[in-house]
Amino acid sequence: MFIRMFFYKIKEISRNRTLLGWNLVFPLVLATAFFLGFGNMIKDDPDAFKTIEVGYVNTDGQASPFSMVLSSLSKENDGIRVLKVHKFSDVDDAKSALDGDEVEGIYIEENGSVETIVPANGLVSTTLNQIVREYENGKVVIETIAKDHPENVMNAVKMMEINKSVLKEYDFGSNTSPYLQYYFSLIAMSSLFSSWISTSMLEGMCANLSENGKRFECAPVYKLPSIVAGILAGVVLQSISNGIVVFYVEKVLGIDFGIPLLNVLAITTLGSALGIAFGVLIGSLCKNKNLLVAIPLCFSMTCSFLSGLMWHQIRQMIEYHMPIINRINPAALLTDCLFVRATYGKTDVYYRDIFTMLVLIAACLIISAMFLRRRKYVSL
Amino acid sequence: MSEKIVKIENLVKRYGDKLAVDHFSLEVEEGEILGLLGPNGSGKTTTINCLLSLLTFDKGEITIFGEKMAPDKYDIKSKIGVVLQNVAVIETLTVYENVDFFCGLYITDKKLRKQYVEEALEFTGLTEYKKYKPRKLSGGLLRRLNIACGIAHKPKLIIFDEPTVAVDPQSRNAILEGIKKMNRQGATVIYTSHYMEEVEELCTRVVIMDHGKNVANGTSAELKSTLMNRETIRISLPGKSEKILEGIREINHVYKTKEEGDDIIINCNGGEHNLVHILSYLTDNNVPFGRVSTELPTLNDVFLEITGKELRDKCS
Ligand SMILES: Nc1ncnc2c1ncn2[C@@H]1O[C@H](COP(=O)(O)OP(=O)(O)O)[C@@H](O)[C@H]1O
Ligand SMILES: [Mg+2]
Repeated sequence: MFIRMFFYKIKEISRNRTLLGWNLVFPLVLATAFFLGFGNMIKDDPDAFKTIEVGYVNTDGQASPFSMVLSSLSKENDGIRVLKVHKFSDVDDAKSALDGDEVEGIYIEENGSVETIVPANGLVSTTLNQIVREYENGKVVIETIAKDHPENVMNAVKMMEINKSVLKEYDFGSNTSPYLQYYFSLIAMSSLFSSWISTSMLEGMCANLSENGKRFECAPVYKLPSIVAGILAGVVLQSISNGIVVFYVEKVLGIDFGIPLLNVLAITTLGSALGIAFGVLIGSLCKNKNLLVAIPLCFSMTCSFLSGLMWHQIRQMIEYHMPIINRINPAALLTDCLFVRATYGKTDVYYRDIFTMLVLIAACLIISAMFLRRRKYVSL
Repeated sequence: MSEKIVKIENLVKRYGDKLAVDHFSLEVEEGEILGLLGPNGSGKTTTINCLLSLLTFDKGEITIFGEKMAPDKYDIKSKIGVVLQNVAVIETLTVYENVDFFCGLYITDKKLRKQYVEEALEFTGLTEYKKYKPRKLSGGLLRRLNIACGIAHKPKLIIFDEPTVAVDPQSRNAILEGIKKMNRQGATVIYTSHYMEEVEELCTRVVIMDHGKNVANGTSAELKSTLMNRETIRISLPGKSEKILEGIREINHVYKTKEEGDDIIINCNGGEHNLVHILSYLTDNNVPFGRVSTELPTLNDVFLEITGKELRDKCS
């Protein structure tokens, strides 16, 4: 009976086009959209920092403290060279070099102040601006030193650690780009969509939710084993669907998660189980069949939004203001788990995330079981 | 005396303040087709759902096959087939898979189930549609699928809750014939409907329900025999006069006449050959008459007489 139920549920769910659309096609489309939006930044974001070609025009004509900062940043430091400086004597020359893509940005130093010209937003612009900001902050100190002990300027610049603060932007450990987070959130979203699988499964098994449910409850079968069979079927299908999304992103789009494939699949399977478990909880508490689609959808969307699907900093913001939300938001847990695994490896946080997810799954299922045990309804 | 398959005693069910079933009692004997007849909202579906242990109820006893019914009485449940008011099938499964899925909740033996499923499809005339998805079936075929899903496991007791609502007359007749056949093959049937013609045609015994109460109970003939009016005769009589009407009223068994345009309507309270007596009176008195029709009472008349109102819908 259990096995039969399992296979029938597999048939039932896999043929449901709406589910297929939301749980598989939609994540694939979104993954592609992300790829078109910032895929190159992830790919270009290599293990080593990519040196920025920058034009430099000094109309003051003399060696300034800023030029020393630039030359300091042009030296290799910890295997990373931030800048390669091209000097121009004329602003127009520099601009034509920029138009010809010979340089990625220009610094123009005039009357002691530095202007930055960068054509596009992005990491290059952030970095170049950051260098100027750090320079402005330490300007007074540098200028004083330059006046009195010109020989020490180089050391002072080093001590300002512009290098470090610039690289901090990129410092996510070995090879994780902040943009990867969007993909992790995407996988979290698609996992949570599976809550819909379980609400629709419960709909067919509870007399208060559908006519099929009435027929089902009139039959001489135990409800809980059938539900467990349905849960397993849902987890299997959602894991396959997640697997396809992972495969598509890694192999077709060529974006490396930086996690061994089996490990990614294990985590996404856990994610599927999490989504399914939440769906079972929603289904067992919900008395109105019209909400069985709306609630899982809103729930998945909200959770994924808070985990950084649309804007990756939101998770950091929550972490700062209300960390508890990140500890229980299933999408945030899953995103964090993938992120931590990719960035730092199997750390305590990684295991904490996994443990929390397991606890959430168990809690959802236990609460649901208590509600689902009820065998008669007051009203149908 | 044959065995009581179902016994409902003093069932009371409230939805909040609303009293849906009011001290309702019912007994069903083996081999019967029991019709539960009542207008919409009279509590038929509620009674059925209580009987099936889907609903809680406030008061009463329900026994099926001599045992008290409860949600976990799987041995009882395994002998019941249900065809509920609304179609209950799985959209993503084919006709065959639907029947197989629901039959499989009762029959675990694979070979036997295959045979049963095929028989059910044959029985409901769905064999040629077995690869179709429910969405492609017409309303009548969908109803038949609904029935096939409910009866494939060959239950001893089959409960139909308004299986013919919104069904074309042809499918309806097929359904009624099917039910008779299942009954002949040994199934006891409870059939709820608000179409009195159906109940009259199909059921061996009728329980009339109104406002959650059992207001009458008996065979169709028994119920009608309690009526004062046993025959309604309508005669077109353009040259009628008060004297002639007087004469008609004096004929044996005629207890009431009513004029309606050129027609007169005559109610008789029993007897036979009433029409013959009336027509020979008219010929003897040289009164010309036109169209003549006669109607025997229906369950609608029974309902009207008991509750003072018509069964709302008529069978189309
Ligand atoms: N879930 C419910 N909640 C409140 N009232 C209900 C509910 N179901 C049915 N009723 C009411 O109970 C009465 C009996 O309904 P029902 O058993 O469906 O009648 P029938 O099947 O004879 O048409 C009706 O008045 C109906 O409005
Ligand atoms: Mg009803």
